[in-house]
Formats: sequence, structure tokens, C-alpha cells
Amino acid sequence: MPVASPLSFSLLLIASLAIAAPAGAQTATSTFSANLGGIAKLSFSSNALSFPDADPDTVPLIAAAGGAITITAKARASLAATVTLTVLAADDLRSGVETIPASALTWTGSGAGFVNGTVSRATPQVVASWTGSGIRMGTQTYRFQNSWSYRTGTYSVSLLYTLVSP
Amino acid sequence: MTCGTLLRSGFLAVASLALLASAAAAQPGPKLDISITPVTTTFPLSDPDTVPIVAATPVQITYRIRQNDGPWTLTVLANGDLLAGPASVDISNVTWVATPAPPFQNGVLSKTVAQRLASGTGTVNPARQGQVTFRLANSWTYTAGLYTQTIVFTLTTP
Repeated sequence: MPVASPLSFSLLLIASLAIAAPAGAQTATSTFSANLGGIAKLSFSSNALSFPDADPDTVPLIAAAGGAITITAKARASLAATVTLTVLAADDLRSGVETIPASALTWTGSGAGFVNGTVSRATPQVVASWTGSGIRMGTQTYRFQNSWSYRTGTYSVSLLYTLVSP
Repeated sequence: MTCGTLLRSGFLAVASLALLASAAAAQPGPKLDISITPVTTTFPLSDPDTVPIVAATPVQITYRIRQNDGPWTLTVLANGDLLAGPASVDISNVTWVATPAPPFQNGVLSKTVAQRLASGTGTVNPARQGQVTFRLANSWTYTAGLYTQTIVFTLTTP
């Protein structure tokens, strides 16, 4: 029976060493840090509204001449946070010393999250609300409550929109 | 068994040990070095409308490959998605632009498969540098937060 010589044994070991030689590898690590903080942006299809004069008997609610306003609200909010769009009148409708309550302005909202409402000069009124981050679009169609009791004049008021997320 | 046979066998055993030792000394393998500067890559806060792609400060990669006759590869792998508590941003939103090309190439980060960042053959000595600019696709849909993740660069020879 043949017996392996010590020389052949050593060659076998060398061969196995060559096969088992580890591949070279070096690593380095880097840490990513991305500040995706809360930001918001609001835009309107128009920044002005006008209501034409009309007979209060035939047109008790005057629609805005420009039609609906398209609102685009973009917000990056915390997880499951509520994003709210509100509107607040800076004052009553005013023509010199004459005034008409801001509540004479009402609107109907359309689009996901948009609601109907009445303008206030005291408390911000909710125009729309959503949950979490995203881009939302909707419309607001304003109407003016017409009345024989108003004094003649050209009335105006500024409306302040605020998009917030806690 | 004679005494002469025993002596011959002992000689052969010693010879084989010497061969093993020389084999170990002649098996140096490739010598690889890699370093990254800076070690933290920061994506600044940006408006997605005006900055749809947020570029981070470029990363300098210094690498050296010695005692190598074959190919070498530099890969990059993310340990996961960008995370901010329970919120996440898929790591595939991070791409990179690398120079010089070659040996560097552009790509998209993955958390599952190491992506090739550079490759070549033979030695690189003295050390050379590459520059990688990571870019995050910005979006309004991301949940607000400070996201982090670890990226691993690996320089290998087969």
C-alpha cells in the first residue's frame, strides 16, 4: 500500500494556503445627515377679488368677478401632523369711514381638505386642513352678502392667509 | 524500517516546513488603503421648488492600492434608508456624481446591493483622490425631520 511521503504532504499544504488566501478589502464609513425641516409655501391664482354692484333683490349673494381662486398649499410637516390653512380679515370692509362687516364675505371650498366658511376679522377661519406633508390644491369661491342697507362706496379689505403646522 | 530511512524522513519533514514558511512570506496579498473626508455628509434644508436636487458638500476619497496585479473595485452601500425616528426616505433618492471618470462613475445608492463607485486594474501608488458629490432628490412629500444614515465604502481586490 503506497504511503504519502512528507514532501507530497507539504506540497498539499502549500496548495491549500494559496487557495485560502483572503481577498483584500478595506472599508471606510461616512454618515449622511439630511435636514428636511418643516417648510411651507402658499400660492394663489389671483391676489385680488372684486364684486360688481348688483340689485340686492335679484342678486342677494354677489359672486366674485374673477370666479374661484385656486390655492396651492405645499407643506413639509412632521409625521401625522395637521397642516391648517386659515384666513383672517385685517378689518371690516371699509370705504372711508363707512364699513361693512367682514362676515359679509363667505366662501365655498372645493378640493380635498377644503371647507366652506365665513370671513372674520377677529378669529382666523379654517379654509382647509390636511395630515402630513404634501402638495394640496383646491378652490375658494367667494360671495358677498348684498344689502340695501349698505352705504354707497367702494369697499376694500385685506385677507391674510396662514399655512401652519405644529 | 532502517535508521537511514528514519533520517531521510526527518530531513524531508524539515524541508517541507521551510517551504511552507517561504510560501507564507511570498503571499503578501494586495495592500489597500482608503479614507473619506469629511466623514459626515450634510444635505442642507432647501425649498423643493427652487432646489429640486440638494447637493451635499463633496466627499474626497483617497485610495491607494499596492501589490496588486488584478482588478480592484470601490463600492458604496447604505446601511438602510435615511431615517428620522419612524419616518424614512428611501435611500434610492440619493444619487452621486463622481470624478475623475474613469475610474469613478456616477450612480444611485442602494441599501441592498453594493454599487460600483470606481474600478480599475493593478496598482494605484502613490495614493489618488476622487471626488463624490451626493445629491438628494428633494420633495414636499418627505416628512419633516433630521435624517441620518451610514454609508460604507469598500475597496476590494478579488
